[in-house]
Amino acid sequence: MPSELLNGLRLLDLTDEKGALGAKIFADLGAEVIKVEPPQGCSTRRIPPYLDDVRDPEHCLYSLAYHAGKKSITANLASADGRELVANLAAHADFIVESHPLGYLESIGLGYETLARRNPRLIYTSITPFGDTGPGKNYNWADIVTWAAGGMMYLMGEEGKPPLQMSLPQAGLHAGAEAAVASLLAHYPRNSDGLGQRIVVNMQACIVWTLMNEQAMPFLHGNHLSRTGVFVGSADARRRMVYECKDGFISTLIAGGVVVGGSTRALIEWMGERGPVPEWMRSKDWVSWVPGVFMKLTEQDHKEIAELESTIQRFLLTMTKREIYAEVLKRRIFFAPVANAADIAADEQLRARDFWVTVPHDTLGRALTFPGAFAKMSATPIGSTTRAPRIGEHNDEIYRGLLGLAPDRIASLRAAGAI
Amino acid sequence: MSRFALEGIHILDFAWVGVGPITTKYLADNGAEVIRVESAARPDVLRIGPPWKDAQPGINRSQFFASFNTSKKGITLDLSKPKARELAKRLVPWADIVVESFTPKAMRNWGLDYENLRAIRADLIMLSTCMQGQTGPNALYPGFGQLMAALSGFYNISGYGPGSCAPPYGAYSDFIAPRFSACALLAALDYRRRTGKGQFIDMSQYEAAMQNLAPALIDYFASRRVLGPRGNASDRYAPHGAYRCADEDGNERWIALAVADDDEWRAMLSSLGANSTDARFATMSGRIGNAPALDEFVGSLTRSHNAQELTVRLQAAGIAAYPVENCVDIHQDDNLESFGFWHWLDHKEMGASPYEGLSHRMSRTPGALRSPAPILGQDNDEVFREMLSLSADEIEQLKKENVIF
Repeated sequence: MPSELLNGLRLLDLTDEKGALGAKIFADLGAEVIKVEPPQGCSTRRIPPYLDDVRDPEHCLYSLAYHAGKKSITANLASADGRELVANLAAHADFIVESHPLGYLESIGLGYETLARRNPRLIYTSITPFGDTGPGKNYNWADIVTWAAGGMMYLMGEEGKPPLQMSLPQAGLHAGAEAAVASLLAHYPRNSDGLGQRIVVNMQACIVWTLMNEQAMPFLHGNHLSRTGVFVGSADARRRMVYECKDGFISTLIAGGVVVGGSTRALIEWMGERGPVPEWMRSKDWVSWVPGVFMKLTEQDHKEIAELESTIQRFLLTMTKREIYAEVLKRRIFFAPVANAADIAADEQLRARDFWVTVPHDTLGRALTFPGAFAKMSATPIGSTTRAPRIGEHNDEIYRGLLGLAPDRIASLRAAGAI
Repeated sequence: MSRFALEGIHILDFAWVGVGPITTKYLADNGAEVIRVESAARPDVLRIGPPWKDAQPGINRSQFFASFNTSKKGITLDLSKPKARELAKRLVPWADIVVESFTPKAMRNWGLDYENLRAIRADLIMLSTCMQGQTGPNALYPGFGQLMAALSGFYNISGYGPGSCAPPYGAYSDFIAPRFSACALLAALDYRRRTGKGQFIDMSQYEAAMQNLAPALIDYFASRRVLGPRGNASDRYAPHGAYRCADEDGNERWIALAVADDDEWRAMLSSLGANSTDARFATMSGRIGNAPALDEFVGSLTRSHNAQELTVRLQAAGIAAYPVENCVDIHQDDNLESFGFWHWLDHKEMGASPYEGLSHRMSRTPGALRSPAPILGQDNDEVFREMLSLSADEIEQLKKENVIF
């Protein structure tokens, strides 16, 4: 059952991988989401990898993940009939989210101004890689170029090697989620005055937003970071963020202060129980220990940090990720395993919270296990529990049920290639 | 004169650090009135995090804090004191939404959990967000976004190949969760409008982060295939990656580019005035299968070019490309500039500095960074006098007792 939370609202999803997650969030929240695809299917149906390496749209993992809970119809925007179908649907929609090249939908009569004349309530959100006004407004796009343009790529990787993207591209996911927030922000005032509006999402800006505290560094500290592998900080004051253990990596950040200093002290106690630890580490007041990764450090600081990091490294190499994680949970130490999908699937916390959702896929003859809802809501549980639709699976339901087209009209539109 | 989208919405914000404050910033920049409840007894750790004005730490000098707390008011209450908790409760009738982001026991111990607060305001919407959720064996896990980015799988897909780890900068998951929590709050407001009912939202930042890894997790459960780090390799594009360009002012420069098919590959070579007789590179599958050699070849072509000029040239040839920008570059980027992304705000103690603006623009009710972040306790007098009708003497007394603190 769809959530009651946004029950009764309808969104047309005209996005590709720049916005699929945004429309999926609406489905998770209980809105009716209708994905509008070309007759051969949206480009998101052909993103590798595929389940069991079967290269067909039904096995595309991206689509299985990010179209779950949606309905799918086909409409050929290259045909006048197909465009008219979408325009008619827009008259019945509360939201449109789209990520076509800038100006394309306007050029075929499906721009905001045109659709809003018939449906002034419409909230129409366009996702753009680089905004709608600058020199890059018509730029060609791939996820890696916005990762680079937004500043995150520069910070990932090792000195002397290329900057990095993650193995699962992220920029389109951030932009999609941003489109969902913005559309819902616009929904609030519409409830009092009945008017929608046009929204433009800037994907490059969405990635800049992931840079945490780094953007203003040039203005305030007169420098900026570059990629330093498993370290954070500048060349003369850096701290190790990732250590090796027996079967992988452990992430931490050793620091002082009220919050993290207690963790550092607990770590030293733990190391002391397992073997010799230098006396200065035991006696140091870690809560008032100051050296930060963006501060000028003394010779003494450098010496202590180097010895501390090598001591921790030797210690962690004696244990596995699982052993370390079990212990830090008890001791309240700020460590986390660098978890892979197998670790996450086995995680007792996610299981205890019934996070995973098993969704039957009659199209595949099996059930698939999905990440569950992004939040637990006491009055209106959320999350999608229906599989991603086949291409055009809901043509009859939507064209007949919503637009009231007769079966022979649908058949002739299909024969003419509009559906 | 346009109005803001969320005018009239009131939020009492006990949250600290990243996810909670970024969530309420979305709402504050769009017109909601947000009162942050802080305390000098236990300051938000971001207040002492870098960067600082003139690189000098201070409780009101951190841009880290300032960036996430625009458009909000700030009061101080030491919630470890019963009188402070009573004052906080007296603000609840005013609040449509309460947000907090402590480890789960804190609000319970203070009697400020949802069950207690809904007794004060029945239709309250309350968001509690923490690392791993309010329930379960690891609910009390202490941590921050850097650790969560490792725990939720992002570190494991960042690196040059098996055995390599080159993680994203900072607290990556802190920049996933707020978009989801903001959606949950906005949708809960709509539900309340329709039904009169509030509710409690338990948001685990772990579970929110997982949304950005869904294809890999579904794949693991179905086939036991584990996605690991693989450099910039792609199964869709070749070439695909970052390629070294000509140095500028002694600094290395790189361009990111992605070639989607054979036509684009030929267009790219032609726009670079190059050709390739290497049979391995003639088809997409050949290029994907020989990516290391291809990367070396492409790197040899880009090495002498200026990254910005090459971007313009490749884009004109239909290739997705952009310079790999650092934190100086993003402030000089023509596209961000044209969008009006950067805002300069004049903070009471920090003076003028640049802030990230909104990542979207609304035509009718645009948001704005309405004011810089509050200095600690900035709005105590106004809030306690005007909203709780305390006299100047009472406020002074409460400050002496370190209740308003």
